[in-house]
Amino acid sequence: MKKNGPPRFSNLIYPLMKLQQFLRIFFCMVLMAAVSSKPVFAQSPLDKTVTINLNNVPLKQALDQLTAASGVRFTYNEAVASSDVKITINAKGQSLRQVLEVALAAYPYVFTELDQDILIRYDAMKIKKSGAGPAANPVTGKYTISGTITSKQSGETMIGATVRVANGAQGTSTNGYGFYSLTLPAGDHQLIVSAVGQKTMVIPISLTADKRLNIALEDNAQELQTVTITATPQGGRDLKSPQMGVEKLSIKEINNVPVLLGEHDVIKTIQLLPGIKSAGEGSGGFYVRGGATDQNLLLLDEATVYNASHLLGFFSTFNSDAIKNVNIYKGDMPAQYGGRLSSVVDIKMNDGNNQQFGVSGGIGVIAARLNVEGPIQKGKSSFLISARRTYADAFLKFSKDTMINRSQLYFYDINAKANYILGDKDRLYVSGYFGKDVLSVDNVNGINWGNTTATLRWNHIFNNRFFSNTSFIYSNYDYEIKLKQDVNNYNITSRIHDWNFKEDMQYDIGGDHSLSFGLNSIYHTIKPGEISATGNSGIISQKLETRYAFDNAAYISDTWKATDRFSLTYGLRLSAFSVLGEGTFYNVNADGDITDSKHYNSGQVVKTYVNPEPRVAAAFQLNDISSVKASYARNAQNLHLISNSTPGSPTDKWVASTNLIKPELADQFSIGYYRDLAEHKYEFTAEIYYKRLQNQVDYRNGANIFTNQPIETQLLYGKGRAYGAEFMIKKKVGRLTGWVSYTLSKSERLIDGINNNQWYNARQDRTHDLALVGIYKLNEKWTLSANFVYYTGDAVTYPSGKYQIDGVNYYVYTNRNGSRLPDYNRLDLGATKQLKKTKKYSSELTFSLYNAYGNRNAYRIFFRDNKDDPNRTEAVKTTLFTYVPSITYNFKF
Amino acid sequence: MHTIRFFAFLLLLGLFSSCEKAIDLKLDNSAPQYVIEGTVTDETGGAKVLISQSKNFTDDNSFVGISGARVTVESDGNVYQFDATGSGVYQNLALKGIPGHTYNLTVKLDGKTYTSVSTMPQPVALDSIYVVDDEFSNNKDKTKQRLATVKYTDPAGIQNYYRFIQYIDNIKEKTIFVDEDEFTNGQTVNSRLNFNNDNDAPTREIRTGKQLTVEMECIDKAVYKYFYSLTNGASGDGNNAAPSNPQSNITGGVLGYFSAYSITRKTITVPAN
Repeated sequence: MKKNGPPRFSNLIYPLMKLQQFLRIFFCMVLMAAVSSKPVFAQSPLDKTVTINLNNVPLKQALDQLTAASGVRFTYNEAVASSDVKITINAKGQSLRQVLEVALAAYPYVFTELDQDILIRYDAMKIKKSGAGPAANPVTGKYTISGTITSKQSGETMIGATVRVANGAQGTSTNGYGFYSLTLPAGDHQLIVSAVGQKTMVIPISLTADKRLNIALEDNAQELQTVTITATPQGGRDLKSPQMGVEKLSIKEINNVPVLLGEHDVIKTIQLLPGIKSAGEGSGGFYVRGGATDQNLLLLDEATVYNASHLLGFFSTFNSDAIKNVNIYKGDMPAQYGGRLSSVVDIKMNDGNNQQFGVSGGIGVIAARLNVEGPIQKGKSSFLISARRTYADAFLKFSKDTMINRSQLYFYDINAKANYILGDKDRLYVSGYFGKDVLSVDNVNGINWGNTTATLRWNHIFNNRFFSNTSFIYSNYDYEIKLKQDVNNYNITSRIHDWNFKEDMQYDIGGDHSLSFGLNSIYHTIKPGEISATGNSGIISQKLETRYAFDNAAYISDTWKATDRFSLTYGLRLSAFSVLGEGTFYNVNADGDITDSKHYNSGQVVKTYVNPEPRVAAAFQLNDISSVKASYARNAQNLHLISNSTPGSPTDKWVASTNLIKPELADQFSIGYYRDLAEHKYEFTAEIYYKRLQNQVDYRNGANIFTNQPIETQLLYGKGRAYGAEFMIKKKVGRLTGWVSYTLSKSERLIDGINNNQWYNARQDRTHDLALVGIYKLNEKWTLSANFVYYTGDAVTYPSGKYQIDGVNYYVYTNRNGSRLPDYNRLDLGATKQLKKTKKYSSELTFSLYNAYGNRNAYRIFFRDNKDDPNRTEAVKTTLFTYVPSITYNFKF
Repeated sequence: MHTIRFFAFLLLLGLFSSCEKAIDLKLDNSAPQYVIEGTVTDETGGAKVLISQSKNFTDDNSFVGISGARVTVESDGNVYQFDATGSGVYQNLALKGIPGHTYNLTVKLDGKTYTSVSTMPQPVALDSIYVVDDEFSNNKDKTKQRLATVKYTDPAGIQNYYRFIQYIDNIKEKTIFVDEDEFTNGQTVNSRLNFNNDNDAPTREIRTGKQLTVEMECIDKAVYKYFYSLTNGASGDGNNAAPSNPQSNITGGVLGYFSAYSITRKTITVPAN
């Protein structure tokens, strides 16, 4: 607003980004893309004609001979290569398509085009479809096979890897620690084991007793998106699982989506999925299904991360180098999760390569990253350290302005992890995160904030059917403001920290039931604020009362595969949140004035809120390619983030429930329809939801955020409702992959004392929200990507008139959030060039252009007297980013 | 605490101010509402009520007074009639308020009655005023912006609320400066009057040789809340996620406030830097 006033960090970053060289690089990139986008091949390999005669030749040999005859190469895995199937071909000038169709008709193999090659794949469903059932097996009884699935190259456990029985409906997937357990009838089975980014394996087993089977999958050397994604089995588990409202992202997908300044970001990428919406530029928050930003539980290796944003929201605290896997539950969380209304974002860190030592990293426009991992004892234990730091502030030093060249503006974070395999049944993990943002002017005034988390986990396998994980977790978030004015020094600190114990158990009962149950106890300590002042301001150093709470929960949930087509998960989470002393608790009247107070001693229980939270989900598979699901979940939330600034701020307050602040409750009902299209190349998802919210908290009009009065004097309470429909179509196979997601939704609040006690739109109410993501593998060297987003502007409050007080203009407001920011739209482009790739070393260059057509999206709109004509008032739009190019160099050895 | 608030504001402002553009925005218009600004001070001539009306956002900034109102203030059983002395200006020159006394305002207008009550706090002496450099901001010509600082001793044991009005060469600064003793009860306070010269007006700059006057008003709690919420919620600056009309201490559904306050003031000539 002011032309030469406060420190303008964005103005400092801007010139850097606008440097000519980046523009030149960008033009080069566009040029290259244009040149190489002409059609590369004219004919599909499947259309090539071939003349060949083979009689009862083993599959691999037959394929080799077909290659010799047609010039077309075949791609296949071990299961195909070692197949003892023998095929016969008599072809004269026939297309390869016809030849293969005939030759493979009787066998469980399918073929698809893959660039210029043909991919031959084992496919159990094919035979099932054609009616060739499994051989009858005389052996009786049921046994359990269990174990851990890992990557052969890195030793990393594979989360969500699937284990299925060929020709059968039974299957399971690994849990968050790579453990699976599957109960099958005695006899011979073919297990098909697959995971994203790994080669699918077929393992023949003969079950005569319970069995342990640890499986190491090979990385898919081709690193083709196509293969990695078809790893999700056809007509597979996703359609069968009752879990809905879940989104899973692998780090590979995240790394292909273009982002601001080239820093790949989990939190920014999930905002492209249906039902998950960005809280806007300059905000690290996101909205899930009409919920507020504080209603998302962010877990990093099970530890709560209270503030997931760096640099006031431009980047998230999750360094994608250190992340293995991300699962997002949009309100239908399994019973093991609780504590937030809208979503759980469960992020698991890499364990560290236990096979070989490796270093990877990257250098970008504003940050550098380094990741080191390796075995401590090969195959048994490993470590990982991943760090990054921004260096934009180095450029501040060049400024002539002393105020700027003595400024600091950076963040850094470190992820570290070690794990030990203690025999066949036990595994120990230690992981931690430490991050800090520093923002200061003139070396004296500033703010720094950061998260610290530490997790100690112990996996124990009691037996084939019984898996347990015990975790001890610490998390901490704090900030410190330092301020010097004249002779006065102020220091303000605030902090929230948790000690957390968690016990999760999974028990495969057999008989199509599997149980999960557990306990969770968290001890929260919240120090809302402490101010120390020296000088002559008269401000008395003081400390707001620390708040303590004991947050306990127990849960049990059963997944029952009732039939081949119908499965049901039902469970209950019981949460008990106890507000503890020492402290003084108040009663407040309708005007926010304190009426009485009561002091509680240390450890004394002020109030306990017990909430049963039922969770039910059911899935019915209609046929091999489609299913319907329905679910209901209740969630309770006892920690509330109180904020009234538009972008959200590191100083927003976390407040625990008190005698007056009741637990927030949400009941969500949803139904969904899922269908695979075009032979499983496309995946279509539609979900609709209705959510009822209780005990929502908001600031009073004119609330004082900086007060030493109890926070309840500034708050009002009410309810909310949110409903919507989410659609996504995803292309999983081919050179072009990506998705289109669209959400139509409504989110409203009704709070006593706001908007004349009428329903009003929540700020995050977005009617339309559209995202398109496309990733195109041009050739071996280049991968291009683009994403486009469009959404209805936030619901905001604009003036409906103006008046003067003391000769100065002020504005009249009538309806809360009755207006809209202009609609938002943006296109981002990205390109990755593989530079060098050997077995030992690989490197790549990533270019990105954020907001490629430079749309001036409104960050906010404010109102003021017209600068040129003081007799008029004007509306002013602020824009943050137009055309932000970036370049990042990544390496790995 | 307002210094700290101001700092947080500057920090955010600095980070996020990048590209500004005036735009045409279609705004809803609400029906005009009456605005009452009523004061009673411990000085002669301080008993004054201004009545005006709100306008549409797109209208110009000339606000005409509303005449035809019947304005009275009652205190200790005495009723003071206010006479119309100009367009929308109502005054009673005889009413000089006394600290500690309570004043009841009644405005009758268009068949409706608006009432308010305000108690004049005891005056607190303004010890001195002086000028300091602002660490963060520059004037348009790149010289350091200078700011006024007020020094006073807050009375212990009671809640005090203050409003400061700053004049540079008799031109009133439009920023609202309010403070309370929540964190400074009973202390000697040096408080800086931070403001943002957002239109780079030279008349708002504190420069050597100019006359600086600060008027310190001791106001009651309701009036403090009014001005606090006015400046935080209704100034249009876009920082508040939920702007709203301030909490008026006048009943009956009008905009504005009624304040009985006591005054102390100081004037200095701004010394060389």
